[in-house]
Amino acid sequence: MLLQLNNIFKWVNSGGQRIFLLKDINLEVEEGEFISVMGPSGSGKSTLLNVIGMLDGFDEGEYHFLDESVHNLKEKHRSNLYKEYIGFVFQSYHLLDELTVKENLEMPLLYKKYKGAERKAMVADMLDRFNIVGKKDLFPTQLSGGQQQLVGVARALIANPKLILADEPTGNLNSQQSEEIMALFKKLNEEDGVTIIQVTHSEKNAAYGSRIVNLLDGRKV
Amino acid sequence: MNQLYFKIAVRYLLKNKLYSFLNITGLAVGIASFVLIMVYVNYEKSYDRFEGSDQVHRIYMDYLKGESFEPGDAMTYNASGPTLKNQFPEVLDYVRFYYFEKVTFALGDKIIEQPTGSMADDSYFNIFNYELINGNKSSALKEPNSIVLTESLKDKLFGSEDPINKPLEMIWDGDPVTLRVTGVMQDVPKNSHFRNNFLVSYSTENTWDVFPERHKKLNWNMNNFYTYLKVDKSANIASLRQKMMDADIEEDEEERHNIEALHDIHLLSDKPYEVTENGSATRIKFLTAIAFIILVLSWLNYINLSTTKAMERAKEIGVRKVSGAQRGQLIFQSLIETIVLNVLAVLIAFGLALLLLPIYNAFTGAEINLNIIDFMQLMPMIGIVLLGMVLAGLYPAIVLSNYSPTKALKGKIRASANGLNLRKGLIITQFLATIILVIGTIVVTKQIKHLQEQPAGVNLNQIVSIQGSVVSSKKDSLLHNDFLVLEQELAKLPFVEKVTNTKTFPGASFDNLSTSIGMSLPGGIEDDKVFYYSYYTQHDYFELLNIEFVVGKTFVDSPLNTSDNVVVNETFLKAFGVNDPSSVVNKKIKFWGHEWLVTGVIKDYHHFGLKKPILPMVIRHGESNDNILLKLDAKASSTAGFASAIKQIEKTWKRMFPSSTFDYTFLDSKFEAQYAQDKQFGTAFSVFTGLAVFIACLGLFGLTSYTCAQRRKEIGIRKVNGASVFKILALLNIDFVKWVGIAFVIAVPTGWYFMNNWLQNFPIKTTINWWVFFLAGITTLLVALLTVSWQSFTAANGNPVEVLRDE
Repeated sequence: MLLQLNNIFKWVNSGGQRIFLLKDINLEVEEGEFISVMGPSGSGKSTLLNVIGMLDGFDEGEYHFLDESVHNLKEKHRSNLYKEYIGFVFQSYHLLDELTVKENLEMPLLYKKYKGAERKAMVADMLDRFNIVGKKDLFPTQLSGGQQQLVGVARALIANPKLILADEPTGNLNSQQSEEIMALFKKLNEEDGVTIIQVTHSEKNAAYGSRIVNLLDGRKV
Repeated sequence: MNQLYFKIAVRYLLKNKLYSFLNITGLAVGIASFVLIMVYVNYEKSYDRFEGSDQVHRIYMDYLKGESFEPGDAMTYNASGPTLKNQFPEVLDYVRFYYFEKVTFALGDKIIEQPTGSMADDSYFNIFNYELINGNKSSALKEPNSIVLTESLKDKLFGSEDPINKPLEMIWDGDPVTLRVTGVMQDVPKNSHFRNNFLVSYSTENTWDVFPERHKKLNWNMNNFYTYLKVDKSANIASLRQKMMDADIEEDEEERHNIEALHDIHLLSDKPYEVTENGSATRIKFLTAIAFIILVLSWLNYINLSTTKAMERAKEIGVRKVSGAQRGQLIFQSLIETIVLNVLAVLIAFGLALLLLPIYNAFTGAEINLNIIDFMQLMPMIGIVLLGMVLAGLYPAIVLSNYSPTKALKGKIRASANGLNLRKGLIITQFLATIILVIGTIVVTKQIKHLQEQPAGVNLNQIVSIQGSVVSSKKDSLLHNDFLVLEQELAKLPFVEKVTNTKTFPGASFDNLSTSIGMSLPGGIEDDKVFYYSYYTQHDYFELLNIEFVVGKTFVDSPLNTSDNVVVNETFLKAFGVNDPSSVVNKKIKFWGHEWLVTGVIKDYHHFGLKKPILPMVIRHGESNDNILLKLDAKASSTAGFASAIKQIEKTWKRMFPSSTFDYTFLDSKFEAQYAQDKQFGTAFSVFTGLAVFIACLGLFGLTSYTCAQRRKEIGIRKVNGASVFKILALLNIDFVKWVGIAFVIAVPTGWYFMNNWLQNFPIKTTINWWVFFLAGITTLLVALLTVSWQSFTAANGNPVEVLRDE
């Protein structure tokens, strides 16, 4: 088992009232799964993804990732954990405008203990694998949306994570670009065994996954 | 990993051109100003340093004024040094300077006038440890009629020849003496309070008949000597001073000897009979304060701009955090950016400073070059710059690294209340510093104008002084005669209105006056405490200078041009408690063992410039070959007229004294020169205030362009809902008005305190009126509003649809 959420609650206090963002979420994810999280706006999809990604905390419940109890971990340990095992893909790509494609890919490696030569090799391998060698010296603004997201996925994958978290990865793309990205996810999942959890509004995209989790008002339905 | 940090830093700077420009310019101007001021301050503090200079002290006189002693003359008696050395074992050695303001050297046909040199004891090189290039330090000044020349004077006189043991004729006070060159010394550095261009052995006094016998014996009558002591390393100066005062070596209750460190003379000493106009510690303090204010302003600017800008970088921080960056790494990266930016600014600053150095030197009169700048001395300065750089970089770095990644990625980072308060604080501080500096500028300018507008009591326009330190092998009386002939010849020139001769004139140095005590006045007034100052001149002197009489008139003209007639000034009468000026006119007074007839009382005039108080004066009737004063008429007032006038005067001079240099001074410019340093300070103050305001404006400009961009949506919504352009402008600008207001309230008392402090240096003070503050506040407010208005106007005029559409 990759991760397990037990009775997770997350809330904010607003005007003397407690508003639940996540309510009693239980979820088990096996390695190699491809899960789609669905639900209307404000149902807590992104919050759930952030909790899994350890970018956000929660107020109650237990979270086990591999052998670690995330709810008992200190901030520093937690960030080491996600640094090692999790890659993120965003709706608006979040590439750094000041960096070239190559440098964007290299960036996460700077925060891990890789030597210069190793980094170069990993970046070259990734450029090759995603067929973007010709774009390596371009800046993000010089790329189309689909190409940018391709770089985004490559960046998420570069440090060989076990889990990819994608928050509406195709939300800013047209249908053809969407299909290409989803096909890529499927291929990564099936051929490389990467576990993927994606948040999506689209039934069609959800169908690429092996399982669908539906949320409504912070609850699993 | 670092390479990428640098890369992103550089790209970021290139991408945000306006931001980079504002930031780098602000920092560069700040650092350049700081460096220039501090280099000058260091130069002023570097006076009189040589090996062992910390052991050297000068002695000076304290005089009893009323109940307490006050610093009197910088000159002491010829007995002072020897007596102190005998009585106190910690006084290792002494050297006395008998100062020549100007002498003439004659070598074959070559005749050269040379200012500033001294007759000095043979211990000179034991105390003033300057290099002797040629000769022997211990014996060079031993024998009578020996002279040591500086290298540049040697070059002027002897060229590349070896001067050692060559004879050299020196003429002083019309009296020639033949000297033998015994040494060539290194030029005394410009940063010395005493610049001897030559040294004549002290024992020459005994063989040179220009000095009367009474001058040669050790005595407590004539304090015409600068005396320096070399004191044992372990000696305690405070206790030596106390011992000196207790011993009262002179045995005179009215006077006592005091001691000051050589290092303190340039900045802390301002006594009568100083060798040259010294610097001022107050000015140095003010300049240092300005330097730091400007530097801190540029850092505040940096912090302000970069924290504001930090919000824009939230997304980047989010992405980096999600990619696994630790806080430390983010702070480090941000610091790298600060360093890149600062290093650029520092390079530009130093380039700017080097480029401006020649202009700066001309302006300050200092002689600063790269060789003289002691880099070890600059280390603390560089340290301050570096430390400030890191501190200024640290705050935005910490702000940045604190962003929560989820919020940052959603673009939900808004300025926190703390951050806003901090920025408000920074801006208010900037305004505060600006207003204080503007108040300072106004007060300094006002004071200098006040000084210049003071009725000096004399009219120095169009008056030329011809100096009479002439060369002639003729006997004294004949030389004197020639001088009178010259005076008559000059009077015949068509553009000369009036002519007279005089021992000295307003604006000339203290050195040309006699100081005395002991005076008997009509009505039984006997006084032996009050110092009075005296010189002599001709009967038409007062008319020529437009000095007015309160009662009485000038000396009675006599064929001998010399008589027992004297004229006193109002301060003289006040000092001796005479209330009715007419009570002394045509009465006899007694001093120096003679009776003198007072023919008139003149209105007070400023003899030493307006910085110094008016002193009690007795002006005697006598003939002098020191100066001929010429009053030129209106024809000579134009530049061309003046040039041809001077040419004709010189021609007349050359006819009389063919082998001597012709030397003249304009009295008004000489007089003004006495507060040239204050004028310089005023200009420096204004220029650096201007720069400080400029830096503050850069920050303000950057900040407004940013707030306007941030509030575009708000402005759009307000406009759609009916707000007028004016309302929007008010909305955007009201904050600045508030901040200037707060800064103003703090600046008024602070500025008043400092400037009132500064004014204490002057006997004549301008007033700090309410409008000074008002003007400073209004100026700052206007500059601030002008700076922000262009941008807020653009923002307010934008089409709201454009803004709201892309939301």
